[in-house]
Amino acid sequence: MGREIFLRKFVIFFIYVIILRCFYLQIIKYPYYYQLSIKNCIRTIETGIPRGIIYDRNGRVLAKDAPSANLVFVPYDLKNIEKVVEILSSICDLDKEYLIKKLTKKYINPFDRIILKRDLSSKEISLIEENLNDLPGVFVQESIKRVYLFGEKTAHLLGYLGEITQSQLEKLKDKGYQMGDFIGQDGIEKQYDEYLRGIPGGIQVEVDALGHQRRILGKKEGIPGNDIFLTIDATIQEIAYEELGDRKGCVAIMDPRNGEVLALVSNPSFDPENIVLYLKEKKHLEKPFFNRVIKGAYPPGSIFKIITEIAALETGVIKEYDRIECTGAMEIGDRIFHCWKEEGHGWVDINFALPFSCNIFFGTIGVKVGVSKLIEYAKKFELGKPTGIDLPGEVSGVIPEPTKADPLNLSIGQGPITTTPIQLLSLISIIANGGNIWQPFILKKIISAKGEVLKELLPNLKKTVYIDEEALEILRKGLKNVVEFGTGTRAKVEGFEIAGKTGTAQRAATQLELPTYGAFVCYAPFDRPKIAVVVFLDYGSSPQAAEIAGRILKRIFIPEKIEDENETETEIFYEQI
Amino acid sequence: MKQKLKYFMSRFKERDIIFISYILIFFGLIILFSASKGVITKESFFIKQILWVLIGTIFVYIFRNGDYRSLEKWSYLFYFITIFLLIIVLFKGEGRASRWIGLGWFYFQPSEFAKLVIILALSSFLSNKNIRRFPILFISLIIVGIPFLLVFKQPNLGTAIIFIFIFLGISYIAGITRAQLISLFLFAIFVSPLIWTVMKDYQKERILVFLNPMRDPLGKGYNILQSKITIGSGGLIGKGFMKGTQTKLAFLPEYHTDFIFCLIAEEFGFIGVVIFILLYFYFLDKILEIISISKTEFGKYVACGIFVMFAGHFLINLGMTLGIFPIVGIPLPFISYGGSSLIVSLLCVIILSSIEKYSTLF
Repeated sequence: MGREIFLRKFVIFFIYVIILRCFYLQIIKYPYYYQLSIKNCIRTIETGIPRGIIYDRNGRVLAKDAPSANLVFVPYDLKNIEKVVEILSSICDLDKEYLIKKLTKKYINPFDRIILKRDLSSKEISLIEENLNDLPGVFVQESIKRVYLFGEKTAHLLGYLGEITQSQLEKLKDKGYQMGDFIGQDGIEKQYDEYLRGIPGGIQVEVDALGHQRRILGKKEGIPGNDIFLTIDATIQEIAYEELGDRKGCVAIMDPRNGEVLALVSNPSFDPENIVLYLKEKKHLEKPFFNRVIKGAYPPGSIFKIITEIAALETGVIKEYDRIECTGAMEIGDRIFHCWKEEGHGWVDINFALPFSCNIFFGTIGVKVGVSKLIEYAKKFELGKPTGIDLPGEVSGVIPEPTKADPLNLSIGQGPITTTPIQLLSLISIIANGGNIWQPFILKKIISAKGEVLKELLPNLKKTVYIDEEALEILRKGLKNVVEFGTGTRAKVEGFEIAGKTGTAQRAATQLELPTYGAFVCYAPFDRPKIAVVVFLDYGSSPQAAEIAGRILKRIFIPEKIEDENETETEIFYEQI
Repeated sequence: MKQKLKYFMSRFKERDIIFISYILIFFGLIILFSASKGVITKESFFIKQILWVLIGTIFVYIFRNGDYRSLEKWSYLFYFITIFLLIIVLFKGEGRASRWIGLGWFYFQPSEFAKLVIILALSSFLSNKNIRRFPILFISLIIVGIPFLLVFKQPNLGTAIIFIFIFLGISYIAGITRAQLISLFLFAIFVSPLIWTVMKDYQKERILVFLNPMRDPLGKGYNILQSKITIGSGGLIGKGFMKGTQTKLAFLPEYHTDFIFCLIAEEFGFIGVVIFILLYFYFLDKILEIISISKTEFGKYVACGIFVMFAGHFLINLGMTLGIFPIVGIPLPFISYGGSSLIVSLLCVIILSSIEKYSTLF
């Protein structure tokens, strides 16, 4: 019949196909599949990227690394996801939706270990270890975490670490940053991330199909990044944070002789080790990550009178003893301009007007000086311009165009003008040192593991502005009297001379009687200034701000009793200055 | 010793079907030893398989002088018993793929035995009948159709496909016309959408993923991809006996059953694969010879059914591990671990041997 001959041909044909296929896979594509088979059973496990230590000016540790454990999984090894979700959600208090999303996502490299939760507690670790058999592909992996020894007190200054975002990755790809890396997301951690960041360590292991480690093939220790020394004084930083208390606002302290920032505090603050908490619990409505010192732009209020006074004295619009009568209000065109004191200050000269912050006086001389001249002076003292402090995200504030500003409002720092607290701190420092504009800075030096100095920031004198000597003397006298008997008496420290200026500003919608911004800038000691302070309260009055500044200065310069180490160090700082 | 070797060589040259199948079994045991990672315990499938080989050998010994023609009378009884068992499995079976029946200490798969029983029943029915007559073709379709549906429902797609192969093979050798084949084919196309709706989701997925395995490297396409990696990484000469990494570290599931060919390819390379395929072809070619020399129609049909069954298993199994066909759970006879499959294969070989013997005796 011969039909079996056809069957034979049929089989032979398929055997040819099969042998050709084997030839293709085993001979032609051999290198490719061999590589894949190697990749299948050899996994590289990153043990984290150690970072450098951040010290304050006296060598106190502000931030460092500590060992921790992460919950990780290998997508390739996952089995029975529903059960895994069930177990993990109950052990680790993780959201089921988050788990499902994370576990079922398609990853580019399915052999990579993906982190589900960082910094497990010892209880969580033991529970996971107990249930490991029901959790194929899930592990507890040793890692490192960042510890901030001063927690919320240095949160805005140092920033925090967070997983690299897609846009950051695109920018930093060439510098060796990878997906999943934790990098500085704000503050010093972000500013100097490249230096702080070390070289990641890792181990190479052979694994079986369940991802269980068979043996370690190789180990590479991570190399920590470089250490950083800051100009910050941890003691002063603590004092500033404590004295600001739970008021919404910020404090910044600087050495007016060189621009070294000694403290930088913003409130509400956050726990830099627990960022997730703030994102989860809607606390972000309070903007805890918002660093008011450099990112907040507010009307300077009466602090701007410093500019008005210098402009008026230098242009000769007014002499030291020229008097102007304040009746509490004045009529300009079709509107009435009020002084903050309803009954008025009576006849006042400049020596009296500044301490009592008379709006009528400064409004009158401001109009005489003229809008363009006032703005020229504001720009001369670098208001409305970033100070160049070495922190990410500094804003500039706004100095209005001459045509858009009203001379009356401008001369008392109201209207469309905004400045940042750090600019006001810079302004008072210029007055304190007699015209030098130092760039505020936080980094002292970066030191490598070998002890080399990789980067050092020296005081940077941006420029020197000429201030008429006589005018400066009148101004300083006035500022001293602000604290002696004027609007800032609550900043007074017994036996100690402080020069300062209060500033209260209304929020944009004036009719609503919203709480005002209260600010106070000062320097001390009066005759030999070593410290400049700005206190800004988001909801508060300037006398309250002055009181906080006073308490801070008192604690810095007049330590009450030498009880514990902190106080001793405060005294040491005083000696240093 | 020399004499013994000479004896073996002559047996091989004479193409004694039982001898060749034992060579394949021996080959399979070597592979399974490697798959057991050289660990020999009571539980390892290497030891279990040896037990099955021994049981199978007892069958071979008992039936070595049996006459296949007596099966013709019994085939319908076997057929109905098998149908009955398949129904029981369907209702009593446990697990998703409910294919096994437990009998004390061992489990067996009625669907494996069903293959042989269908061959016998169909051959018995068709012998001395003209398949070109429509009623005969229709009844033949029903004989295969009933167990086909039962197995398909289990669900055991692989075995169901083998049933189709068996039907096509036997009806082809029985002289089915081209017109009949084409109309059957058209009928199948007409029915297939219906089958698609009856299919389990995972079966549909397998066919879909076959079309594009990379679309889901960790899901349904995982087996195909891992199988290709395993085979491809073997290269020309392989990684060496007991040195496979893919299978040892269990990246490939079921490497001791349906994917056993990967292990051969990984450890013995392209050269090993070619030798293995030629050996298997040597075995298949012998069956073709038996078909052509068989004196009775029943013997011819049975031999052809068995040939199609082995060839079908062989081609589909290799095809799916190589990514030519979709993955359907089909073992590689004599090589894959599995008692039912081994016993059935040995029974087939005994029958073939008997057909050969009685065709030359006349």
